[in-house]
Amino acid sequence: MNIQTNQQKTEAEEQLGVSLPTRRVESFHYTDLRSLLRSAPARLKEADTAGDNYKRLVDAVRLPFFDGRFFADLVDELPKGVTVSSDAVKAGGDTADDVLVAINAAGEGDAVSVRIEGDSTLEKPLGLAHVANSPVASACYHSVTVTSGSEAHVIDRYVSDAGIGHLSSSVTELSLEKGAKVHWFIIQQENSDATRLARMNVNLEEDTELNIFVLNAGGRLVRQEIMVSVNGENANLAIKGVNLVGDGAHIDVTTSLEHNVPHTNAEELFRNVVAGDGQGVFQGQIKVAQPAQKTDAQMACNSLLLTDDSNFSAKPELEIFADDVICAHGATVTDIDDDQLFYLRARGIPEKIARTLLIKAFVGEVVEELEAGDALEDAFAGIIDSWLDENI
Amino acid sequence: MPAVQETIDTVATLDVDKYKYGFSTDIESDMAPKGLSEEVIRFISAKKEEPEWMLEWRLAAYRRWLTMEEPDWARVEYPKIDFNDIYYYAAPKNFEDGPKSLDEVDPELLKTYEKLGIPLKEQEILAGVRKHDEPSQLDEDPSDNVYSSGRVAVDAVFDSVSVVTTFKEELAKAGVIFCSISEAIREHPELVQKYLASVVPVSDNYYATLNSAVFTDGSFVYVPEGVRCPMELSTYFRINAENTGQFERTLIIAEKGSYVSYLEGCTAPQRDENQLHAAVVELVAMEDAEIKYSTVQNWYPGDETGKGGVYNFVTKRGDCRGDNSKIMWTQVETGSAITWKYPSCILRGDNSQGEFYSIAVSNGAQQVDSGTKMLHLGKNTKSRIISKGISAGRSQNTYRGRVFAHKKATDARNFTQCDSLLIGDKCGAHTVPYIEARNSTAQFEHEATTSKISDDQLFYCMQRGIPEEEAIALIVNGFVKEVIQELPMEFAVEAQKLIGISLEGSVG
Repeated sequence: MNIQTNQQKTEAEEQLGVSLPTRRVESFHYTDLRSLLRSAPARLKEADTAGDNYKRLVDAVRLPFFDGRFFADLVDELPKGVTVSSDAVKAGGDTADDVLVAINAAGEGDAVSVRIEGDSTLEKPLGLAHVANSPVASACYHSVTVTSGSEAHVIDRYVSDAGIGHLSSSVTELSLEKGAKVHWFIIQQENSDATRLARMNVNLEEDTELNIFVLNAGGRLVRQEIMVSVNGENANLAIKGVNLVGDGAHIDVTTSLEHNVPHTNAEELFRNVVAGDGQGVFQGQIKVAQPAQKTDAQMACNSLLLTDDSNFSAKPELEIFADDVICAHGATVTDIDDDQLFYLRARGIPEKIARTLLIKAFVGEVVEELEAGDALEDAFAGIIDSWLDENI
Repeated sequence: MPAVQETIDTVATLDVDKYKYGFSTDIESDMAPKGLSEEVIRFISAKKEEPEWMLEWRLAAYRRWLTMEEPDWARVEYPKIDFNDIYYYAAPKNFEDGPKSLDEVDPELLKTYEKLGIPLKEQEILAGVRKHDEPSQLDEDPSDNVYSSGRVAVDAVFDSVSVVTTFKEELAKAGVIFCSISEAIREHPELVQKYLASVVPVSDNYYATLNSAVFTDGSFVYVPEGVRCPMELSTYFRINAENTGQFERTLIIAEKGSYVSYLEGCTAPQRDENQLHAAVVELVAMEDAEIKYSTVQNWYPGDETGKGGVYNFVTKRGDCRGDNSKIMWTQVETGSAITWKYPSCILRGDNSQGEFYSIAVSNGAQQVDSGTKMLHLGKNTKSRIISKGISAGRSQNTYRGRVFAHKKATDARNFTQCDSLLIGDKCGAHTVPYIEARNSTAQFEHEATTSKISDDQLFYCMQRGIPEEEAIALIVNGFVKEVIQELPMEFAVEAQKLIGISLEGSVG
């Protein structure tokens, strides 16, 4: 790490073996990691496979990770065309922008590679099931390759029980080869003491189709980075997300799309709900390189603030070097519309229920458009409902 | 407009010969020694016959500046500036004692005004051809001519000094003080001391601090309570002498219930060396007051590589200090090799309003990093941002803005629209907004688009018999119209012409 600092190392920096960026680092402008993460839990030693959190969200083929360790003997029967091995090598990161990668490389946890090949179309979703059972800092790494013509749904899920102050770092390298089609769901339901630092790097080749959905419904300090590099013509990308920021939580979703070749499409839509004294952050960057003519990239970020102590910061950026493009972004921040609330209350619906209904409708729109299948959409709606029950 | 490779080529070959303000006027200058030191600051202060407190203030700023680092976060690239290779003070020698009347004005200078494009009617007044209340011979039908009053007071700043300020007496009758800042320091020290650096603190940023140490002139406007300034006020800034930095300082104070509209225009000669311009503009609007500040910036943009162009590092900020006050910034930025400028509003008073309308045109190797900040601190404050960027050639055009609502700024409301138009495939257009809501009643909307001129629009026009070049001009004019219509009439015409010149070859 080449973050210049004369300051004394914080406890967290000692523990993680990495210098943490302050808000002076532009990409961490709204998430001052150094002051938000003063201390980190002990490093992972033994993973704990106990507890009943290792449950299916929907019927899926699961690859279990407990406390960042991969348990090959607990893997469900793999469908044809899927190979899993623990021989992946973690990548390092050496700039302040890549600090989450550096934390991952320096941390304890397994590196697993998954390969989906041979024109496979997986019938059941593949589940990367992460369960944290111990108050430790863990760092797991996945490298997933979907080869030419294959199709898959992947549920990348993170769960932990209340009261465990763990730190989970994860880095995912996803590569889609020509013509591959993937739905990727990042479902984060960690407890309200948890810290989650996640990075996903994506490479898209020609004619690929990738739909990413991020659902943050937990965590105390969460930073989810998604960096997509579009390197093949006619690639289609959609990143959608719902961030539910509870009292005391700080949730940051940072995305960066690099369009490097002509004729690619991208759509980004995030809906955020901030309760209590939560802090929500969205940073979205769309970069269009000079050769990437005919790029069509749209980004929207809408936020609802539920209380006067909640806040939201957005930085939607466009960086365009090609002229024949259509790029746009929109961002809004507001509270629940009084007229809508009045409409419902005038029909005899109590205020609390009316508010919940409106919030559900606000975020439900994203889930409905996922085309992820009824089972998954119902499961996501269920997660949102239970978050609303607890937080509104 | 993809089919028109020709257009792109024309823009590419467009060269600075189009810059019609590239002359320099041969007037003997009185200069401070090159470089920056406490001695130079003492020299400037002595030249300006400033009181002791002002000198101390400058020296304190200089010492502070020495400890600061040049900011590098903007999307602009330029070789490191050698701050010791610049003249910090240059005054046309003939005016060292200050002109007593216009007759004493050097004819060379009047010629300069002409070249500066100061509207004809103003020149008549400047040249003493007519009095402002006489109808101009240029008016065909005075009844419907917006210029017929010709009532624009002008302060012309030439390198480091203000050479002439017109209409002073009439303004004084209304109680309005309009003079150069140096004069204000001497004549109205109580006002200057009270308000100077109250909006842009001395240590605000690197260039503002430098400006505080070495500023040489600029305008000062004070509009007393309840007065509606009877005419538009205007300043023309001109860098003339070689290797000279221009550091002007403008301070405008609108007391309770007053109104003032202020226009600013800038040009510079063509040079081989890059010229530095670091200005600070402070606006203070008290209760129910309104300030309208318009800029047409046409500093020399440099040759096709940006060489010789003006580096424009400007800090402009308005403070809506009183309730129901309003500040409106309108800018047309077509010049400068580098523009680094973020006219901002601090919406402190309840119900105060801030507006920002901007057109930034870049061509050749120009780099523009401009935008605004709207800081909502008072209750029920409103702001509106309309920014239109047009990039052509190999230029980079960035909008960078921040909208912030404090926890106590209940019912803050912002609307932001940033549109970029790209002409040619070698240029870049970027948008970097920061949106920060700290309370739930704030309502923020932001939208940004980037595109080229759409084929459909072009086809629609051409199909109706409008030639391509004219069609593009029409579409570009439509693109910037929302901003142009916010400019005072005198400037709107000039601005439209400037956009035409800047994009000549692509917009006809």
